[in-house]
Amino acid sequence: MVCIRKATIDDLLAMQACNLFCLPENYQMKYYLYHILSWPQLLYVAEDYNGRIVGYVLAKMEEESNECHGHITSLAVLRTHRKLGLATKLMSAAQNAMEQVFAAEYVSLHVRKSNRAAFNLYTETLGYKIHDVEAKYYADGEDAYDMRKELKGKKVHGHSSETGKDRGEKGGERECEGGGKSGMRVRGKLGTGESRHLCDSTGHVLYKPGHLST
Amino acid sequence: MGASLPPKEANLFKLIVKSYETKQYKKGLKAADAILKKFPDHGETLSMKGLTLNCMDRKSEAYELVRIGLKNDLKSHVCWHVYGLLYRSDREYREAIKCYRNALRIDPDNIEILRDLSLLQAQMRDLTGFVETRQQLLTLKPNHRMNWIGFAVAQHLNANALKAVEILEAYEGTLEDDYPPDNERCEHGEMLLYKISLLEECNLIERALEELHKKETKIVDKLDYKEQEVSLLAKLDHLEEGAELYRILLSMNPDNYRYYQGLQKCLGLYAENAQYSPDEIERLDALYKSLGQKYSWSSAVKRIPLDFLQGDKFREAADNYIRPLLTKGVPSLFSDLSPLYDHPRKADILEQLILELEHSIRTTGRYPGRAEKEPPSTLLWALFLLAQHYDRRGQYDIALSKIDEAMEHTPTVIDLYSAKSRVLKHAGDLPAAAALADEARCMDLADRYINSDCVKRMLQADQVPLAEKTAVLFTKDGDQHNNLHDMQCMWYELASGESYYRQGDLGRALKKFLAVEKHYADITEDQFDFHSYCLRKMTLRAYVEMLRFQDRLHSHAYFHKAAVGAIRCYLKLYDSPLKSTSEEDDEMSKLLPSQKKKMRQKQRKAEARAKKEAEGKNEESSVSGVSKSGKRHVKPVDPDPHGEKLLQVEDPMLEATKYLKLLQKNSPESLVTHLLSFEVNMRKQKILLAFQALKQLLRLNAEHPDSHRSLIKFFHKVGSMPAPVTDNEKLIWSVLEAERPLISQLQGKSLIEANKNFLQKHQDSLMHRAAVAEMLYTMEPEKKSEAIKLIEESTNNMVPKSGALGPVKEWKLKDCITVNKLLETIIVDPAAALRWKERCAEYFPYSTYFEGNRSSAVPNSAYNQNGSANHSEGGQSADSIAVRNICPANRLQLIEENYAGVLCTKLWFPFEIRFTFPTSSAFPNCQGEENSGCILLCLEQCRYLANSGERILAIAGCICPCAYSTLCRYRGYTTGYKADSRIGETLLRLEISVVDTKQMGCIRQADV
Repeated sequence: MVCIRKATIDDLLAMQACNLFCLPENYQMKYYLYHILSWPQLLYVAEDYNGRIVGYVLAKMEEESNECHGHITSLAVLRTHRKLGLATKLMSAAQNAMEQVFAAEYVSLHVRKSNRAAFNLYTETLGYKIHDVEAKYYADGEDAYDMRKELKGKKVHGHSSETGKDRGEKGGERECEGGGKSGMRVRGKLGTGESRHLCDSTGHVLYKPGHLST
Repeated sequence: MGASLPPKEANLFKLIVKSYETKQYKKGLKAADAILKKFPDHGETLSMKGLTLNCMDRKSEAYELVRIGLKNDLKSHVCWHVYGLLYRSDREYREAIKCYRNALRIDPDNIEILRDLSLLQAQMRDLTGFVETRQQLLTLKPNHRMNWIGFAVAQHLNANALKAVEILEAYEGTLEDDYPPDNERCEHGEMLLYKISLLEECNLIERALEELHKKETKIVDKLDYKEQEVSLLAKLDHLEEGAELYRILLSMNPDNYRYYQGLQKCLGLYAENAQYSPDEIERLDALYKSLGQKYSWSSAVKRIPLDFLQGDKFREAADNYIRPLLTKGVPSLFSDLSPLYDHPRKADILEQLILELEHSIRTTGRYPGRAEKEPPSTLLWALFLLAQHYDRRGQYDIALSKIDEAMEHTPTVIDLYSAKSRVLKHAGDLPAAAALADEARCMDLADRYINSDCVKRMLQADQVPLAEKTAVLFTKDGDQHNNLHDMQCMWYELASGESYYRQGDLGRALKKFLAVEKHYADITEDQFDFHSYCLRKMTLRAYVEMLRFQDRLHSHAYFHKAAVGAIRCYLKLYDSPLKSTSEEDDEMSKLLPSQKKKMRQKQRKAEARAKKEAEGKNEESSVSGVSKSGKRHVKPVDPDPHGEKLLQVEDPMLEATKYLKLLQKNSPESLVTHLLSFEVNMRKQKILLAFQALKQLLRLNAEHPDSHRSLIKFFHKVGSMPAPVTDNEKLIWSVLEAERPLISQLQGKSLIEANKNFLQKHQDSLMHRAAVAEMLYTMEPEKKSEAIKLIEESTNNMVPKSGALGPVKEWKLKDCITVNKLLETIIVDPAAALRWKERCAEYFPYSTYFEGNRSSAVPNSAYNQNGSANHSEGGQSADSIAVRNICPANRLQLIEENYAGVLCTKLWFPFEIRFTFPTSSAFPNCQGEENSGCILLCLEQCRYLANSGERILAIAGCICPCAYSTLCRYRGYTTGYKADSRIGETLLRLEISVVDTKQMGCIRQADV
């Protein structure tokens, strides 16, 4: 009925449209670009028989914390396409990629406390557990469950998250572009500077200055 | 840098640079002023001061200072670099490149400037320049990984993939054997996959495969590895291995259609046009049966055979496919089946099949040939499917009767209301469709999807203010009224632009269309930061794909629509410039003078209010908006919120040409592009360009009515022009003389003959006849009655169905409206237009445009009869169009009847219950929050009992204020609610106060 496949750049506009149609938390195109150009393995779409994008998952790796883990930024399925198990299939695909490519130890997400449908999906079907409660996490004052699911991430290899740090310590050799001595950079920051616009499906601010800069 | 300064000032200069980098602009400014006190003409300091001011939003000062700085020190690369940065910050990339080049002339090996230049070259697609700069960077710093990668990517972009491979291999040669370390495996793997994709691009397939196998252990992304491998195997005709690998991929994701397609290709069972021989069909059937056994949880494997199976086998497969999905209640079933309707045979089989299922369930409660009883909801979903089926086939009255029956069966399923809204829209009753969608919306206020759906319908019904009010429920952003524009919500902007255009409000329409255009400009801009980011991240395949995506960005459907909309606005503006002060004449002319006056007053008041608000905001922001760094973070208030200034363009055709060029470049295969080009250039008197557009139209579709129209119009116009005088005119003349004989439609014929010829060819088509009539009238205005006769003598035939004549007529509502407008405004014959309208009202009884007798435009239509008050928030839709409405008490009763015994079992609880309360004034005995809170609690209990993981009860839409406030709090609370202790109670008897809108105060105990 619906094709589950990795998202390509050409899907991003349709993903954005899908998000704007279904969810209250929205992002500018640049944020979608940021995801796919950072972790192309972690974006999946559900495409119906007519070639329309009816669902997607947008996910990322948290690269600044010590534990290597993934995070679900946004997950949506059109109301008309419920009861097909699409959310489950999309989530599994993204989780598998986190585990396999980035050796993620766990994956996290936020969900509104009142959103029982989503809560049930995460706990019953996908095996997430409540890790914490974040008070007044949302713009409208609602609390969020900070949920996590353990993955069997093997510690065979690290992932790019550590590299940022290592590189910084090593200094010179692989110093990134843009940050030279005179450092005359005007840009290099992602986003509009308005953090509200760079938040996950739950309204959480995800963007930290410097993601895109050196 | 700052070299000419004494030590103290040189240090200060360094401080400016550092402050700039760390965004401490005020500190930088202070340091700059300290230097300038002693050396007021110091060029580099002046430049840096300018750059700092630029970041503090003091643009004009910035440019002035930077220019003086440069003038004082033309030999300084710093000054040139700063000038370049200034231009870059204003997106003036071409100017910036020039500045960087000047800076490099002074300091050719300056790494920072080279890097900055390379980013601009990538952005502007100056690919040869990009290659050069990247090469220079590599030569200067060969020990940087990024410089190798950057040079390779540059070569690739510049169409030299082979060179790129060489560079990457040279880079690999510099690495140790045990490379990469653990923490760089991902990136290295990406690089290798990029290199292999380059080899594939060069058509070096074998080498690519060899390389892939050789590097297997170093490629982390195993899925991409396999996908790359299988693509190479297929290209090398290693079909058995390919098929094997596709089966492995399918075992990882059996819902990916591309894998099935690939497998079919490897097995020699794939046809682009989906036409297969009986033998192939048999083999395909066997293949999917065996795959279906392996991947029983995949829905794709069950659905795909419906595409290739025929006749009885199709019927059997469709039957097996549909049954479980009806039982489960999958709302998207129809949209999933809809591509099959392109084959008329299959559509007929489906109709028969679903009718049989419906009949069997209705009479026996079972599917044909089954012993198990179906749950009551199966009938509901069968009706739902049938309604959509008849909608698709244009039999709107049957569709509506099916959906009404479904609503009576289970009045709580929101999808029914949305579907009915869609049917009404197709049938031509846009206000009723909007009202229905609003009813659906009110059934779950927390669901943005139905909110958006409703907004869409409201815009289609030209209820823009109401639509905006509704959309804002989800798009408030802090103190911002709505964030639809900031979030690039393009469907909304397009839909409201189109509505404004229909209503003749060109200013607002342009505003919306140009907003969409701006989003695309922003997306183009978005790529800038990624030129360096991706080289570091090593996501090279995605990066190159992104650049290619950007190159074709403006061919995207939304942009196309926006550009078409904007050009149409400019055409209208050009044709009737006098109206431009306020595009109200169309509307106003119909009103009485007193009404007109009232409306004008209203408008004036609204404008004054808006102005006041805008000013208020501006003031507020200028007081509070300056932050510590000295930069203002305020969004400037839009000085032209209604697009009035957009209407005051001097030359609308010049503006139109801007967008036309983008269409010509990006949508050359679209008829509309050339049609607009024709219209614009005719108005600009650009005869040859108009002729070029005409030739494109004839190339794309010479038989299209619009192509014919343009052809006749063009030569008619040319024929009526005075004889050429200037050389230029003579040249144009000679070109046309040489070209005219090449147009087959005109060979040896006069225009009048060509027009007749076209009629003969397309006798039976309404739109072709209308085009011929219009051209007849254009060429020979005295033949007006003949032209009208041509239109009126068109016959609306039945569409053939399975060989015989079906129940549906050919003509499309949209076309009939176009013809009506033609009679009204171009041929200008009110009597004929009226006759046409009356005739079409018969064909389209639901059409509000033609005032059909079942449409909401007619006071006593079916949809206005049993309308109780609608519970939307007092919008015009609720006031003017009462929709068939089942009152809450009856809803509950219907559910009890139809679902007796099944309602609260743990297993099965498929629908959403909602209770809508009337407004507080109609709720005199309201006992405050306790009452409503109790209801909510009880319903929550139900939800727990039926804990199936689905959203079972959406308890929203209470308009009683206290119930509503409880609801709002409820959304946030679960603590303090001791759910567990209550689950145990088999509390099935819930006391629910349901107040009928009409019978105020009636309280009813419901056994749920």
